[in-house]
Amino acid sequence: MHLRDLMLAPVRWIHPRTRGRRHGPDPVLTVRNPVRVPQYPQLRSSPPKLSPVASDNPGRTLLQTGARNAGVKTRNGLPPMFIPNEHRPEGLYLPNFCNLRMVLAMVVAGELLAYVLSLSSAPGGEGRWYGLIMTSLFVQWVALSSIALLCVCRRLMDGWRDLVTTLYSFGLVLAVTVVVSEAAYWGGAYLKLFPAREGWHGEFLIRNLTISAIVTTVALRYFYVQFQLKKNIQAEAHARIQALQARVRPHFLFNSMNTIASLTRSNPALAEEVVEDLADLFRVNLADARTRVPLGEELALTRRYLHIEQLRLGERLTIEEDTAGVPLDAAIPMLTIQPLVENAVYHGIEPLPQGGTVRLRASLDRDGNIIIKVANPQPVAAAKRRPGNRLALDNVRQRLAAHFGGRGKLTLDDNDRYYEATLTLPYEKAGS
Amino acid sequence: MRVIIADDEGPARTRLRGLVEEIGGIEVVAEAGNGRQALLQCDELHPDAVLLDIRMPGMDGLEAARHLAGLEPAPAVIFTTAYSEHALAAFDACAIDYLLKPVRKARLAQALVKAQRLTSAQLNAVTQSLEGAARQRTHISARCGGRIELIDIADVAYFQAGDKYVSVHHRGGELLIDEPLKALETEFSQDFMRVHRSILAARDMINGLEKDPQGHYYVLLKDRQRLPVSRRHISELRALVRAGRIRT
Repeated sequence: MHLRDLMLAPVRWIHPRTRGRRHGPDPVLTVRNPVRVPQYPQLRSSPPKLSPVASDNPGRTLLQTGARNAGVKTRNGLPPMFIPNEHRPEGLYLPNFCNLRMVLAMVVAGELLAYVLSLSSAPGGEGRWYGLIMTSLFVQWVALSSIALLCVCRRLMDGWRDLVTTLYSFGLVLAVTVVVSEAAYWGGAYLKLFPAREGWHGEFLIRNLTISAIVTTVALRYFYVQFQLKKNIQAEAHARIQALQARVRPHFLFNSMNTIASLTRSNPALAEEVVEDLADLFRVNLADARTRVPLGEELALTRRYLHIEQLRLGERLTIEEDTAGVPLDAAIPMLTIQPLVENAVYHGIEPLPQGGTVRLRASLDRDGNIIIKVANPQPVAAAKRRPGNRLALDNVRQRLAAHFGGRGKLTLDDNDRYYEATLTLPYEKAGS
Repeated sequence: MRVIIADDEGPARTRLRGLVEEIGGIEVVAEAGNGRQALLQCDELHPDAVLLDIRMPGMDGLEAARHLAGLEPAPAVIFTTAYSEHALAAFDACAIDYLLKPVRKARLAQALVKAQRLTSAQLNAVTQSLEGAARQRTHISARCGGRIELIDIADVAYFQAGDKYVSVHHRGGELLIDEPLKALETEFSQDFMRVHRSILAARDMINGLEKDPQGHYYVLLKDRQRLPVSRRHISELRALVRAGRIRT
């Protein structure tokens, strides 16, 4: 096999010691709970291929989806944001030295270092080659012993703080350098390879240690930065998909479809209205979320949404709206009120067998700020609430901040009796 | 064939009823707006099958199915849901049928033909795959003189294991159920704690800890009842005292 092929080949080889341990060749590849993968419907069509070790160890297998190239499309063509949380690199920032690719990379890096060292120090001609060979031998011993030890210690480092891991790895490499230097010195002295002069032993040791310390520092720093970069790319992708998902609650869509299917038989005219409302809602949902609209439009959209919910929930949903005292031409980022009302229905009304009231109030305060309040009853104690993802709220907050800076706010009053979200924003005329 | 339709949304019930009637040979004997209603109706009307929406307020479809499994005779259960939630993977795994809304008529007819009773084992397996609060039932059910009795878990003060049965001490009295205390402890670990080898008390109900002159410990409940505490559970209660949650 050509060296280049080896470097580019997917990781198939696993150090026997790591089989069945908590760490696969790369943290990105480690799947703690592969059963959860099929949850992602997108992944269902082409199930992830499991490496040969999968069969005897279902809990800790390697996914060969190519996901290890974070930020790149995975093998099944999905962007990496579909990688479940468990795949995100966390914990140990050091790469897994137990895998063959890493070992080869280290050998190559060691060889380059040896070349640099011999270029800068040894005399020209025959002596240079001799120096290169000796330096290579030394560097490879240090490098391979160090990564072998780091590979063995990897399991130990699980859960350590980065600083501790760094100091530990650093100390380990220096210790290896001392041992190899001593061996080289005594071996060299025995074979009479060195100039037998006073103080050479100490100088040899200190030179080696200094070079080793500098190179190790640079390498650790490199691994650390690379790990952070990988983490950031994945976090960003994750945030993007979350922002997208926050905009449409699939339950609402399918329930509305069901309502339409029902009304088509009993009341076609009403079914038509619901289709129109739903179309409006989705048009806005699919539009650019950065758009500002007049407050009147946002309120109208919220009413369309409530119209659908009213048909669906019937008597269980009572709506109280008091928005008379507010200027309808005020600019507001689109989809700021509707998601709050949707939350109120989802968390406050749907879980109540008897239903309840959603209150929507809007007013202009003395300082010229627009205040919009959405309140709903609290069906259950805070501790037992439906697992809300708060995505909608974060999404609204982000967009308020983007439009109004510190002057736009979303505050929440979460007490035992009711839940109230309050939007505060400055009165700026739309279109100005 | 007689069926009951349970869904919290009126239009959804209307549509299902329409579809069922079109299929023919099937009578819709009742409609329910939540799991609790569906359960009580089943207890009374003994239908052959129930169309149960998974997401309903009060008692959801899954919990209703768990209680239904205890009925004699138990109806067949067909779940319906609007959205393919992740829980559905577990339904597939346990060979439990479900219909996605809006339901297709052909699919509904097929489901009704092969509808079968769900076993407790199937339902437990599905429940186990859920996370957190969703695993807990909101009610405890027991058959009492041929009728089903439902007790809101919030009304339960404590469970006490007897020789054969566990007695549920609740606001309205006492009831015997045929479930091991250990299983109850696992299911309701959020709200109940073991204070004695044979007693599982509601955390919310525990008011204080006291010690008698003989050195025995007791927990005081909010309704003034005194329950014995065994030695191995004292430390956990003391921790609650220290945290200011209960007094001595």
